[in-house]
Amino acid sequence: MARLRLPVLLVLVAFVTVTPFVVMVLVAFAPPGGRTLPGAFDVTRASLRNFTDVLQSADITRWALNSLVYSLVSVLLILLFASMAGYAFAKKRFPGREVLFWAFLATLMVPFQATLIPYYILVSEMGGVDTYWGLIVPTLANSQAVFLMRQFIVQLPDELFEAAKIDGASEWRVFTTVVLPLIRPVLATLGVFVFLWHWNDFLWPLVIGQSEAMRTLTVGLATLEGENVTINQIMAGATITVIPCLLVFGLLQRYLTDSIATSGLKS
Amino acid sequence: MSKVEPREASPDEPEPSKAGTPTWRGATARPPTPDGSPPGTGAAPAALAGAAPEAAPGALAGTPPGTGAVDGRPRPGAPPGGVAGPGAPPGAGARPAGGARGGGRRSPVRRREALVGLAFVAPMLVLFLVFRFGPTLGAAFLSLTDYRLSGEWTFIGAGNYTRLLQDDLFWESLGVTAVYTALYVPMTVLLALGTAVLLHRTLWLRGFFRGLFFLPYVTSIVLAAVIWKWIYEVEDGLINAALGVLGAGPVDFLGDESLVLPSIAAASAWKGFGYSMLILLAGLQSIPREVAEAATIDGASAWQRFRWVTLPLLRPVLFFVLVIEAIQAFQVFDAMYVMTAGGPVRASYSLVYFLYDSGFKFFDFGYASALGLVLFLIVLVFSLIQRRLIGREED
Repeated sequence: MARLRLPVLLVLVAFVTVTPFVVMVLVAFAPPGGRTLPGAFDVTRASLRNFTDVLQSADITRWALNSLVYSLVSVLLILLFASMAGYAFAKKRFPGREVLFWAFLATLMVPFQATLIPYYILVSEMGGVDTYWGLIVPTLANSQAVFLMRQFIVQLPDELFEAAKIDGASEWRVFTTVVLPLIRPVLATLGVFVFLWHWNDFLWPLVIGQSEAMRTLTVGLATLEGENVTINQIMAGATITVIPCLLVFGLLQRYLTDSIATSGLKS
Repeated sequence: MSKVEPREASPDEPEPSKAGTPTWRGATARPPTPDGSPPGTGAAPAALAGAAPEAAPGALAGTPPGTGAVDGRPRPGAPPGGVAGPGAPPGAGARPAGGARGGGRRSPVRRREALVGLAFVAPMLVLFLVFRFGPTLGAAFLSLTDYRLSGEWTFIGAGNYTRLLQDDLFWESLGVTAVYTALYVPMTVLLALGTAVLLHRTLWLRGFFRGLFFLPYVTSIVLAAVIWKWIYEVEDGLINAALGVLGAGPVDFLGDESLVLPSIAAASAWKGFGYSMLILLAGLQSIPREVAEAATIDGASAWQRFRWVTLPLLRPVLFFVLVIEAIQAFQVFDAMYVMTAGGPVRASYSLVYFLYDSGFKFFDFGYASALGLVLFLIVLVFSLIQRRLIGREED
């Protein structure tokens, strides 16, 4: 009896955990019109109408494109800049190194919302409202990324870099041909996290993307309601936004869960 | 010896390719030559190298770091620590590390290394100066002004803060946020602890279940809010449909002033517990098996083992998770924006929602900045408590 209790509990909790996803998908595929329940549970009548409808009534493809640009460009630039900075903090002696690293880390203590206003004023003065760069560039200053990179690189033996240098390779060459390949696992982990952070980000895209055309998918989903859209169509939209997260998660689950356990990464 | 001139503090000088040079230029009053070879006399890099360890303690007060490090340098004429030889550290604050490095101090290799290091940090440094350190100081400054949408402002001292203290809306939103936190944190941590213990005890499909429980965490709060809003719906919502089958309900979860916060907290807990679960699971796995085994041999029941052996050993991790979730909860905004728009009658109008409205609905930027600073202080207090507790735990 006691042996069975554990698996039963596990399955029960698992059921509750996935239920919201399941009902989202069911409602998204339910035939349009009429009451949502219990019709949604009749899978034989599943239809794609809600998806085609919501794609027509809202500019979801544009929002998806914005989300992709926001997430992918941020991933690439953060990985590059953070690994460069992490390498310098870990392996190069330069004046102010400790203070600088400390100061980078200290910004973790300041919640984003606390500096939202000056952030917005700054970017708007620079003409960044409703632009891709205004959306992306301010989010590149990511202290967790720098921290993670430094912690990983610092434990790599110096000899690895020295050997390449003795062979006459330039610093940049050492970085691209020695450092980057060595830190591939961190790049993957961090890449996943940064992608998810940006894909799921809400407040910053909400204030900086003011025209409908500059909304990200997450912001778009939040504003779908009240625009004469049915719940079935909203769930269809929700299903679309979650697909990339699930893909990334499915492919890189192990990286993701392991790195939280070891480094406590958190958005 | 190179001349050290006061640095023109311009945090955002954009020099993309050689952007590491601001610090460098501050100390030497001369930019390096384009090919990266250091200019001026050979003493310049020596001075720079000495700056790092010495400036560290003094420059922590929140000044932009690059500048802080350079300004903290000894005056020209005062020999940088270690120059007189490793055995006799002259200036106050010269640490042994500085002395030990004295040998390589003047070598071009060290100088080059410093330049390369700065060049590699440069892109991130510029980003941090412009988009992190700048806005943080800016927030403090703005909160002392009545900055408006037009860009016009006057300095009003503590005006925004005295206004805050008399603003019912502020106290209301603070109360809502505190209640929400008091609901969300126990829900999330209990859920996380429960699932972590379940996973720890089982070997059957552990990876699968772990992934499954973690799934909601990789989605957005907006998504969670959209789904749960429908689940809570009076007409046709999932829970009320189920209650209807049982002949109960309907319950207006999001329309009832006393139910709205627990309902939102539950939805957020569903979205967020995966993170704490992983941290707690790692904590559980780090407890040596022998400890539990010893307790079993002593005749302890499963509950006794958990209560008197596992839980005390897990305490530091629990503290960490509690504080992290509390900090998270205090910044709540997205869920309320999507699910209730702060209603009914501001029963779910959080502090950040108030900040958002002050800034982007009423364009009262100075006031909103003051709210931001209050939020920062609260989060800071949480962090300090965490340090305290975990610090004590380690003693």
